[in-house]
Amino acid sequence: MIVPMSTVLALSAVLFGIGAFGFLARRNIILMLVSAEVMLNAVNLSLVGFSQHLDDLRGQILALFVIAVAAAEAAVGLGLIIALNRNRPGAGVDELTELKW
Amino acid sequence: MITQAIFAYMAAASVGSAILAVTRKNPVHSMLWVLALFLHMAGMFLLLDAEFLAAVQIIVYAGAILIFYLFVVMLLNLPDEEARPRFGRHWPFAAAVGVSFAGLAWLALAPTPDPDIGRFATPSAVAERSQIGTIAELGEALFGPYALPFEMASLVLLAAIVGAIVVAKRGQLSS
Repeated sequence: MIVPMSTVLALSAVLFGIGAFGFLARRNIILMLVSAEVMLNAVNLSLVGFSQHLDDLRGQILALFVIAVAAAEAAVGLGLIIALNRNRPGAGVDELTELKW
Repeated sequence: MITQAIFAYMAAASVGSAILAVTRKNPVHSMLWVLALFLHMAGMFLLLDAEFLAAVQIIVYAGAILIFYLFVVMLLNLPDEEARPRFGRHWPFAAAVGVSFAGLAWLALAPTPDPDIGRFATPSAVAERSQIGTIAELGEALFGPYALPFEMASLVLLAAIVGAIVVAKRGQLSS
């Protein structure tokens, strides 16, 4: 045990908070997705920390699946952004009001 | 001691680059800070005995996903993006959410004594773990007990590929 578990979890919590702030606050839709990636990375960090602490590989396997899902999310999300941008140039989420009732 | 110093550096650098990534005005600068965050995260994985994940982090996250984001940022051609406000009007609310989440998680882990968490490790897992390097074990686990989730992950990726093509192409056909 080199790195204490609580430090890893605290760091993960701080990174997740930063990512959540970015996701909620940014106006640019691409940077919102990137903030989601930051949150996924924070979760991966806590999974790997648990895996090391418990001497159990399941945390790392779960982190691998999280990375796979992040790749899928990035592909679909950026495809949506390209489709959106074709209809309405710009990246601001506050201008996408067509679905607003 | 030196490991702890390295971990402290990694932690400080990743938090700093995450904050910069979230707050920079220029999207390309943001992406580069996220790249720094991913590389430091890979170093942290190395410290936590996850060598394969560190390699995957660099290859998949830094090498593939981030480059994809950068390509889209440059493809979209947003010249006036820097002149616009970077945050929405509700950003204090978002900051409150982020800070309160981090604070809540911190509170939740504060009373947990460290050695107690280790009780839940099953003896068999510990015995499995201490035999060989992590990568060989990870491969055996992925193609052994976790073969079905592994195949499901490939299905998810296939669905994402098809979905991305359909979504990105539809607008072109209609216009």
